[in-house]
Amino acid sequence: MFAPLLGVVAAAMGDGAASFPLRDVLRYATTSAFLALSVGVITGITGTLAAWLVVMHRFPGRALFTWALALPLAMPAFAVAYGYADLLDVAGPLRSALRDMTGHDLPFEIRSLGGAIFVLSAAFYPYVFLAMRAAFLNLPGATLDAARMLGSRGAAAFFRVVLPLTRPALGAGMALAVMETLADYGAVHFLSVQTLTTGVVRAWSVFGSTASAARFALPLLAAAAVLLWIERAGRRGRTHETGKTRWRGPEATPLGRTAGVAAAAFCLLLLCSGLLVPAGWLLANLPGQIPDWGRLATAARNSFGLAAAGALFTVMLATLLALGAERRPLAVRLASLGYATPGAVMAIGLLAPAGVIWSLFPDSGAALALTLLILAYAARLMAAALEPIDAGLARVSPSLSQAARTLGRSEIGSALAVRLPLAAGSLLTAGLIVMVDILKELPATLILRPFNFDTLAVIASNYALDERLGQAGLPSLMILVLSLPAVIWLTGRISSPVGRETGP
Amino acid sequence: MTPLLELRQVSRRFGARTVVDAASLKLFPGRIACLLGPSGCGKSTLLRMIAGLETPDLGEIHIGDRVVASPAGALPPEDRGIGLVFQDNALFPHLDVQANVGFGLTGLSRADRTQKVLRLLDQFQIRRLASEWPHSLSGGEQQRVAIARALARTPSLLLLDEPFSGLDGVLRESVRGALLEDLRRLGTTVLVVTHDPEEAMAIADDLILMSEGRILQAGPPEDVYRRPVSLIAARLLGEMVVVPGEVASGRIETPLGSLTAPGLADGSAQLGLRPEALVPAEAGVVATVLDRRFQGDGYRLTLDLGEVQVPLTWRADPPEPGATVCVSFRPADAVLFNPEGERAVSGRLPSG
Repeated sequence: MFAPLLGVVAAAMGDGAASFPLRDVLRYATTSAFLALSVGVITGITGTLAAWLVVMHRFPGRALFTWALALPLAMPAFAVAYGYADLLDVAGPLRSALRDMTGHDLPFEIRSLGGAIFVLSAAFYPYVFLAMRAAFLNLPGATLDAARMLGSRGAAAFFRVVLPLTRPALGAGMALAVMETLADYGAVHFLSVQTLTTGVVRAWSVFGSTASAARFALPLLAAAAVLLWIERAGRRGRTHETGKTRWRGPEATPLGRTAGVAAAAFCLLLLCSGLLVPAGWLLANLPGQIPDWGRLATAARNSFGLAAAGALFTVMLATLLALGAERRPLAVRLASLGYATPGAVMAIGLLAPAGVIWSLFPDSGAALALTLLILAYAARLMAAALEPIDAGLARVSPSLSQAARTLGRSEIGSALAVRLPLAAGSLLTAGLIVMVDILKELPATLILRPFNFDTLAVIASNYALDERLGQAGLPSLMILVLSLPAVIWLTGRISSPVGRETGP
Repeated sequence: MTPLLELRQVSRRFGARTVVDAASLKLFPGRIACLLGPSGCGKSTLLRMIAGLETPDLGEIHIGDRVVASPAGALPPEDRGIGLVFQDNALFPHLDVQANVGFGLTGLSRADRTQKVLRLLDQFQIRRLASEWPHSLSGGEQQRVAIARALARTPSLLLLDEPFSGLDGVLRESVRGALLEDLRRLGTTVLVVTHDPEEAMAIADDLILMSEGRILQAGPPEDVYRRPVSLIAARLLGEMVVVPGEVASGRIETPLGSLTAPGLADGSAQLGLRPEALVPAEAGVVATVLDRRFQGDGYRLTLDLGEVQVPLTWRADPPEPGATVCVSFRPADAVLFNPEGERAVSGRLPSG
């Protein structure tokens, strides 16, 4: 589990890193930091506002937006980038039509840092939305009433009471969005924005230098550790639980006509920018393409197979870790570091230990590569799987396992017979989260995959880099279709309020 | 005396269900009133309407000479000058005790606010908790903080929603005693909502009974206990023994004997008695003992009166089941109900 992390550090210390001067690393790091900060702030505001609207107010379309606003999670960020890049292309139909009508061009270039900020914000706001929606739903109803009785309402109540109480969730949601931004390769690379992650992949693929790739990876790893620390610190000691209280969620108040329409328009705008516009445009471009069905089918099988195997392996490891967590909390903390670590960094870290194995077993080729890939997925997504599994196990009353122990089961036996079956729903949740993430994963797959082994994401990326955006649309949409059911199922679960948790 | 708060025919519906049905009541300054009713009778909704957290569908709410809610519109809670203490206290978990109590004190200078908060903390003997966090406080302490917080804005009326339900046993009684002493000393007008009849009778100056969305009766606790307007009202406050009877020309005949029933129409009626009104007697109705149970300060016998069974408390040397005893009651303690369970004859006019 920790091998990739150690591998990165070791490789960075190694020789042969001359191909990139430190100045470049700094420049890439500045871009990454600015990008991450901007996406963090934008997703923080839009995600919170959208969550506040659907939880606290009634307006047209609220029931739909409550779950639909999370759907962009099923859309890979690179697919969002392809959609917008094609739609807003200088020679594209939209700009041509606008030029003809108004005589002016849009003063906006999607292949820029600004474009990347827009694309990634549109793709990643659901992380904040989901975290804040759950937080708002879990606010005890009396909290807002109490603030009102004491003279605070509206904005004052929001900033004095609601925001301080939901700040841990906001921090966690924004940290996720920022981590994903730092880890993103497909979208920023395509939009010609040079970040640390593109640096890692480029150093490795163009210059073949593991050491210089690791130089780029080190600041990312540091940022990951800081983000993780922020996310944990937000929660520490501030679990606002009052134990016996009856939770009665806040009551939604209707908005006036104008405000209601504005709220619906805002939610629709978010949904459009994250999903409907890019996916719609890719879909509209499908007719006229001659897809290479054979290649796509193989890639879909590969994608799905990797996702399923990765999910299974990750959930198994995470379950073991969660069960062992009571004994060794530090191990769990370290394992979570992987989640903040970009896939590219993970892959680079794994290459070093892999080199050793390769030299020992020269024939292991593809099988070893796939194993490494699954290991990289597991290391990267461990925290995402641990979170729901931990929560699921925590909900199983300790007296149940104690009862199993007094009835003659061993510690492991009682875990198998009592705790795991009761937490089955959480295991499924964890598995689906991991699956969706693997389906969308690009950089680690690019680096570690065996020769000629394609996934949908890899094919899409290859087409896109060859400027064949129409062809890239189909594999992107196939990823969307594969992940959509899982995301829909997940949004229903993640945000159900504590007391009303469905399933076991 | 002019009422501080008056509700006139206030109703609230949720969908097809009428939760509060034409409720009227008056609260007077400096008094502690208690709204008693079973769970789900609409008392919490009534409380929230008074606070301004719900708006009545019909009827008016007056505070002093001001209409604060009517079908025409409602004053928002922050402008009503009413304090509400929530059942779970609803302390803000991200603020310490001092900041919680000072939360509603806006528009004061920092020094004034601190001074006022500290004075309140002194009044409720919780100054030593000033920098504690809510989760580290005991239930009783949390409640004192919540009450101090509600009183910080010097409301004209303090509403308490099931204030003692989170506390148990001995603690409950001592917390209740100390709290009421403080509130009386401060001269606060208080409305307490509870479902516990003993608690209601112990703390109320004025008792208001509520059931199924309707206010049944209001008045001093003794009156309400002794002269319930109906069997339902009677049973909200405790056990009521009911013995059927026949009225003929101004007298009612029952298995426990006969008594005058002036103005009651001929036909069937019911005689209601609190269990303690039934006493062993030298001369009275003879009944067989069916059952005997020890209850600490005495024995509870069940007597067979033919059509009905009635309880009788016996202090010492109780008779065995199967033996016969003599039982009687004071006619002044009897309440007569018509067959529908409404009070048919009253010693006094219904109060409230």
